[in-house]
Amino acid sequence: MTTPLGTANGSVAPFQESICRHAMYSLGQQWIDLSARDRFNAVALAVRDLMMHRALETEARYRQKDPKRLCYLSIEFLIGQSLGNNLRNLGLHEACRQALGNLGADLSDLEAIEPDPALGNGGLGRLGACLLDSLATLGLPAYGYGINYEYGLFKQEIDDGYQREKPDNWLEHGSPWQIAKPEEACTVPIYGRIEHGVDRAGVYNPMWMDWKLLMGVPHDMLIPGYGGRTVHALRLYSARASRDFDMQIFNDGDYLTAVEQKIASETVSKVLYPSNAVVAGQELRLTQEYFLVACALRDIVRRFERDHSVFGDFSDKVAIQLNDTHPALAVAELMRILVDEKSLSWEEAWKTTESTLAFTNHTLLPEALETWPVPVLERVLPRHLQIIVEINRRFLVEVGARYPGDKARLARMSLVEDSTPRRVRMAHVAIVGSHSVNGVSAIHSGLIKTSLVPDFFGLWPDRFSNKTNGVTQRRWLLGANPRLADLVRATIGDGWITRLEELERLEGHADDAAFQGEIERIKRANKERLARLIRDQSRVITNPASLFDVHVKRIHAYKRQLLNVMHIVHEYLSVIEDGTTPRVPRTYVFSGKASPGYWLAKQLIKLIHNVARIINGDPRAKDWITVAFVRDYRVSLAEQIIPAADLSEQISTAGYEASGTGNMKLALNGAVTLGTLDGSNIEILESVGRDNIFIFGLTAAEVAAMRERRSYRPQDHYDRDARVKRVTDAFSSALFCPREPDLFAWITRSLLDASDEHVHLADFPGYLDAHAQVGDAFADPGRWTRMSILNIARIGKFSSDRTAAEYARDIWHLERVQ
Amino acid sequence: MDIPVEQMDGVAVAEIPVDELDASNSGELKRAMAPILERYSKLIIDVGRLRFVDSSGLGAMLSCLRHLSAKGGDLKLCGMSKPVRAAFELVRMHRIFDILATREDAARSFQTGSSRSTT
Repeated sequence: MTTPLGTANGSVAPFQESICRHAMYSLGQQWIDLSARDRFNAVALAVRDLMMHRALETEARYRQKDPKRLCYLSIEFLIGQSLGNNLRNLGLHEACRQALGNLGADLSDLEAIEPDPALGNGGLGRLGACLLDSLATLGLPAYGYGINYEYGLFKQEIDDGYQREKPDNWLEHGSPWQIAKPEEACTVPIYGRIEHGVDRAGVYNPMWMDWKLLMGVPHDMLIPGYGGRTVHALRLYSARASRDFDMQIFNDGDYLTAVEQKIASETVSKVLYPSNAVVAGQELRLTQEYFLVACALRDIVRRFERDHSVFGDFSDKVAIQLNDTHPALAVAELMRILVDEKSLSWEEAWKTTESTLAFTNHTLLPEALETWPVPVLERVLPRHLQIIVEINRRFLVEVGARYPGDKARLARMSLVEDSTPRRVRMAHVAIVGSHSVNGVSAIHSGLIKTSLVPDFFGLWPDRFSNKTNGVTQRRWLLGANPRLADLVRATIGDGWITRLEELERLEGHADDAAFQGEIERIKRANKERLARLIRDQSRVITNPASLFDVHVKRIHAYKRQLLNVMHIVHEYLSVIEDGTTPRVPRTYVFSGKASPGYWLAKQLIKLIHNVARIINGDPRAKDWITVAFVRDYRVSLAEQIIPAADLSEQISTAGYEASGTGNMKLALNGAVTLGTLDGSNIEILESVGRDNIFIFGLTAAEVAAMRERRSYRPQDHYDRDARVKRVTDAFSSALFCPREPDLFAWITRSLLDASDEHVHLADFPGYLDAHAQVGDAFADPGRWTRMSILNIARIGKFSSDRTAAEYARDIWHLERVQ
Repeated sequence: MDIPVEQMDGVAVAEIPVDELDASNSGELKRAMAPILERYSKLIIDVGRLRFVDSSGLGAMLSCLRHLSAKGGDLKLCGMSKPVRAAFELVRMHRIFDILATREDAARSFQTGSSRSTT
């Protein structure tokens, strides 16, 4: 294969030379004397040189053609390790392997050393990273904007089954991928008050006085597209104090207070908030969101003004995508810049703002919809609050004219909730200030229209659309599963790497015994690798011949890890009490983090560990059931677990999961989905066909109706079905907590509570039946492997290349620049 | 702080003698400007040396303008650098100050009565 830098073989010598040069001149030692970490750094710096070259070429090409550019604002980017990914996208993976071989080192060892930049919680941040990969691959001009958190999401440790959070200081040793650009730092005002007055023409002129300043220092991480021709930047901002010290305090002799203030300023980019811990009113979180928006918009305006002078053209040259509501303050900030600084009329500024911004909603969970108390906004961002209030006044006039006399509607749609204290609804701000609102799967986009904001859909039906999420096959197949990637390449060529729909050409091989054998061999090898990882981490011995039943994602009530545990308990009790032999041996693999303040999720982790301890230690179940929890779930761990999965658990309560992307990654790697009709499971069902997926449970409409009518009667299910009763009762016994008998009694109570919004007992019998079908299918290897192949062959729609192309065509109106 | 004052076409021109105007010296500026503001009713302040101004510096400039306006005078600014202009725009103070490119432009605008900013 040719590389963007010549042939792979031809690149070995110069690449090797570059590595050694960095060892000597960047790190100050001979290669042979470098520590493993510095060897990784030397290689990364050599790769960065090549990317920098391509990034400058890309920018020159873009500036010559002056295309419209996308700016993707996201409070999280879960980018994962970069070395292997960058090398593959540059076409240099093999050349690097050879160069390192010549230097007596192994590329895989160095790849494993790289810390995961855990700059995200889950799907939302990973979507941002996958889209950046696709945008660069497609040659769609784009920048990413985010925050350079010093501490990523916590590291998860397990102590007696309980999650313990440890700081993840991923930048402790610096990152060779980051290029600091202090000369492009920007100042960000915050706090202060509004001084009301008039300008020289006698027109009202509010002035934002007495603010404090933060500095935003950009750090660029380069994102190469596949083929290496296009390299974009993800610009991550670190917060710094505006001056080294507040000079007044310093001059007054209070050195320590001056230092404290400097530290307080730098706190803004210190830590990534775990999801579900974002309690409204947390001023630091609001400051983070504003910091991201202010830094990004200053940079976007600066770049625009470099080549353009008329702001009327702004939306012809810039598209800004708000990844959820966290950057929704962009509505007010862009208005402030255009009206206050660039002196556009309100009407001109509004037209520009609306036509530039677009908003992606990622959740239907009420508690995750951000609102900010008016008094907090007034203190932190007084001018922005003024602007939001004015936007709201004008908006409500428009609504009032459309629906005369409908005060209830005005109250529902207002950007400001009439509560005590009043609160600003950021989703409403984002919807009103954007020309496009999209959900991330077909069902989710539908629920946005019918359940989340039906009034807005009624007002502006054309503003709403669906853009089903996708994942990049470069990371999730080519990188994560090289054995399978090689087989696919040998069978249908390379086209799928940039056109995932070409995987459909594998369909013709679904019944080919030789191909099936290869698929089985690869899956087995991946399972053996995961088995070693589990053994090394937790001393649990797993059987690679068993069905690997994988449930990996954040731990959350709606994702229903509990339902999975209930099935395991059912299987276990069937073995030990009924003497039943399961259809197939199974290994249940869990991995995921619980938000530190989320008691229930943390209890579920404890439950999984206790269930694992009892079952794994029971000789009666030993040959049939093994339970493993793999700690510290992150992108690099997902890359090891996903290729080893036989079964993909996607069992959220219908109507709760916006899309999910783990389901796509797992299917891409040949896992068969066991899922509810939720999120993108529904579209996976449509793609892979009913014979190649296991679907169970209530629909979103049924769950919603049950909730509305209060018709959920868990006691009925308990009384009616002995299986349900036995499993429910097991949690209030000491079976899984012999030393603390009441530890899990809350689960029994919660399962029997009619207010259980995740309707576990209603879905449990269907889940058991679906699992029985899974067992039957897995017991027939030919059938199972055929299903697995058809999942791979029919998953082409779920590439983030398709997602990015749809956004570009329908929302951003971007052209490819090749 | 010693603020030099020159005459240009019958208008006083005061020059801010520092590169940075912030919490450490804006009080001092106000004190140094007080006698100048008492003495003149038409004043040009040349801010050409300034490269950084924070909110307390902006507050000091605003109090100069208000002092002169209260007694029926006027204040014009000239020589403003890009970063200082950005700070004025940030708080919308560019709308209440007459900001001109050079001392000559400022003096001329006093004579013609023009109040259009030229920067």
